[in-house]
Amino acid sequence: MKDTVKLISAEGFEFVIDKKAAMVANTIRNMLTSPGGFSEAQHGEVTFPEISTPILEKICQYFYWSLQFASGKETEFHIDPEITLELMLAANYLDA
Amino acid sequence: MSSQKKRTFKIEAFKHHVVVDPKYAEKTWKILEHAIHEIYNHNASGLSFEELYRNAYNMVLHKFGENLYSGLVATMTWHLKEMSKSIESAQGGLFLEELNRQWADHNKALQMIRDILMYMDRTFIPSSHKTPVHELGLNLWRDNIIHSSKIQTRLVSTLLELIQKERTGEVINRGLMRNITKMLMDLGSLVYLENFEKPFLEVSANFYSCESQQFIESCDCGEYLNKAERRLNEEMERVSQYLDAKTESKITHVVETEMIANHMQRLVYMECSGLVSMLVDDKYDDLSRMYSLFRRVPDGLSTIRDVMTSHLRETGKQLVTDPDKLRDPVDFVQRLLNEKDKHDRIITAAFNNDKTFQNALNSSFEYFINLNSRSPEFISLYVDDKLRKGLKGVSEEDVEVVLDKVMMLFRYLQEKDVFEKYYKQHLAKRLLSGKTVSDDAERSLIVKLKTECGYQFTSKLEGMFTDMKTSQDTMQGFYASQSASDGADGPSLAVQVLTTGSWPTQPIAPCNLPPEIMGVCERFRAFYLGTHTGRRLTWQTNMGTADLKATFAKNQKHELNVSTYQMCILMLFNSSDRLTYREIEQATDIPASDLKRCLQSLACVKGKNVLGKDPMGKDIAEDDAFAVNDKFSSKFFKVKIGTVAAQKESEPEKQETRQRVEEDRKPQIEAAIVRIMKSRRVLDHNNIVTEVTKQLQARFLPNPVVIKKRIESLIEREFLERDKADRKLYRYLA
Repeated sequence: MKDTVKLISAEGFEFVIDKKAAMVANTIRNMLTSPGGFSEAQHGEVTFPEISTPILEKICQYFYWSLQFASGKETEFHIDPEITLELMLAANYLDA
Repeated sequence: MSSQKKRTFKIEAFKHHVVVDPKYAEKTWKILEHAIHEIYNHNASGLSFEELYRNAYNMVLHKFGENLYSGLVATMTWHLKEMSKSIESAQGGLFLEELNRQWADHNKALQMIRDILMYMDRTFIPSSHKTPVHELGLNLWRDNIIHSSKIQTRLVSTLLELIQKERTGEVINRGLMRNITKMLMDLGSLVYLENFEKPFLEVSANFYSCESQQFIESCDCGEYLNKAERRLNEEMERVSQYLDAKTESKITHVVETEMIANHMQRLVYMECSGLVSMLVDDKYDDLSRMYSLFRRVPDGLSTIRDVMTSHLRETGKQLVTDPDKLRDPVDFVQRLLNEKDKHDRIITAAFNNDKTFQNALNSSFEYFINLNSRSPEFISLYVDDKLRKGLKGVSEEDVEVVLDKVMMLFRYLQEKDVFEKYYKQHLAKRLLSGKTVSDDAERSLIVKLKTECGYQFTSKLEGMFTDMKTSQDTMQGFYASQSASDGADGPSLAVQVLTTGSWPTQPIAPCNLPPEIMGVCERFRAFYLGTHTGRRLTWQTNMGTADLKATFAKNQKHELNVSTYQMCILMLFNSSDRLTYREIEQATDIPASDLKRCLQSLACVKGKNVLGKDPMGKDIAEDDAFAVNDKFSSKFFKVKIGTVAAQKESEPEKQETRQRVEEDRKPQIEAAIVRIMKSRRVLDHNNIVTEVTKQLQARFLPNPVVIKKRIESLIEREFLERDKADRKLYRYLA
């Protein structure tokens, strides 16, 4: 199994991040671990046609921040007000 | 603040872009439905999780959750019906395997479906109070497969058939069994209970009921228990291998009831192999098996215990009442000890050191030891034997072991005062004759008695030891003062000064001592009274011993070890050759019974007959005549003329001791009554009897009739009075 996973935004930008980080989102976790071999698990890449590039980037940042946070270092995760709404929609979708 | 106008915030609901396509829901569901079909057909590899998830997400978001849910139910139900058909058509042994395979498929599919419908599980289902997807899948499986009429009964009978096969020794596919029972558990413990456990327990009960019937007809007890234990272990193993853990207690209960509880009495009383013969033959393995099996059922242990108790009492009773076995007291006590050891070992090895069994053993011993009124005497004789010779050359630890065993028997005695009486007599003889093997052992036993019965019980025994010690010192002082004034030519004397009261002495008229002895005795008396004023010395001539140097024909010299009485008799022959019985009696003043016994041991014991008797014969008559037996010879230089050692008492002696014991009990009972009345002031008759019995039971069991007599005597002496109104009440008069 590869340790990284490729996340593709609506515009086609590809983010290659650690699997461990991506699994912070329950939806992605299920995509990659559900039995029966869905295409995402087979190819190690997930396409999000409803998530724009800046949001997906922010999300990836959040994944890493969250991993850090989980290991005890408390810092603030900065979110620009203008993307808040979209980000929250995506978060709901990803269950993160 | 008040002057400033408040700006009111208003947060508007976020408006989704309205779906214009009225067929949106239907279309989206078609995609998902197709995916579900593909999943069930093992074709999921081409599907995009993200796409399916997004579709389900959007359906829920756009308020089509209801459609999604009902569609799922319908699709899943359809698939399950298909599966059910395939399972039903499976032939014979393939049935379970097909069921297992389909279950695995369904489970996997269910998990995938749950994953893609995760958003519905998270939001729609809690708010609409529906069953979550996973649980829904299990319920549908239960309703469509397990509860389908064609599968339900077939499943149960197949499972039971397989277990039956395994019980008769066949090998079955345990992994498959485990999967199926686990499936039933996954569907809810109720499903497991109804569809498997209940019928399983019923069938097992039948099976074991038949089997145990068959076994009990054909096996002996040990064999049967062996089989029962094996069955029990098999069932427990079965549970651990492929049944739910909660079933264990239920199935073992079935086996216990059918194989043990229902046949308990028959097993225990089985002829030639039941509990009694196991006990007799020390069958530790069988006994231990019986214990561990019977412990599982109610009343099991008490059944064993009751049978053991009655067996012990029966054999014990035979032991203590068999006149054959009463002939030798030492052997008698040894038998008791052996019996106790044997059962102690059984309880340790087979009965898990169970306290209740130990208690049963103790109470049985207490019961039968006291059936024989001579037990206290015999136990004391046993100790006497051990302390005289039995313990010679035995290590200190072993001595302690023997003494502890004796103490254990002592504890069982009800008439401890009778034991004390005999023990005192025997101890006195041991001390005076210097026959005791080890002073340490004597003292150790006294310490044990003291811890058991208190200071009062042993104070006199300890007094005896003190007397012995002081006597030694006194004798040293006596000889130190005499050596100058008197030659060492005369007879040497060893006096033991005994405190009256501590020793079991009877006032007895002293016999006439030979003049040689008389002289030394008088000197001692003068010496003793010189240092201790205000005391009175009486000679206990019935208790002493003497060493005599005698010369027989052919200049044969011997040293004779005899009792004081015998010494007196023999000394008479220094001055005359032939004496009649009457002459001896006159000269010595020895009481007739003792005299006869002494003469008998001097003249009639082969190899020790230093006197000749005329006429010859075994018994001493009043007109017999005696002369020194010049032909006496022995290979030993020292000859011990049998002083009658502590032996079990003859009938009249026994009566006498008994009487003395009864006599000694009177003041103790009176003291107890007074103690009780002093604190209670007023008490009725029955209560006094109970209290007195309670106070004295450490020493003996007082007879209620005797207590009544003592009360009457106390009334006469005005310690108590009867209540004027109620004649049953007594009052204490201070």
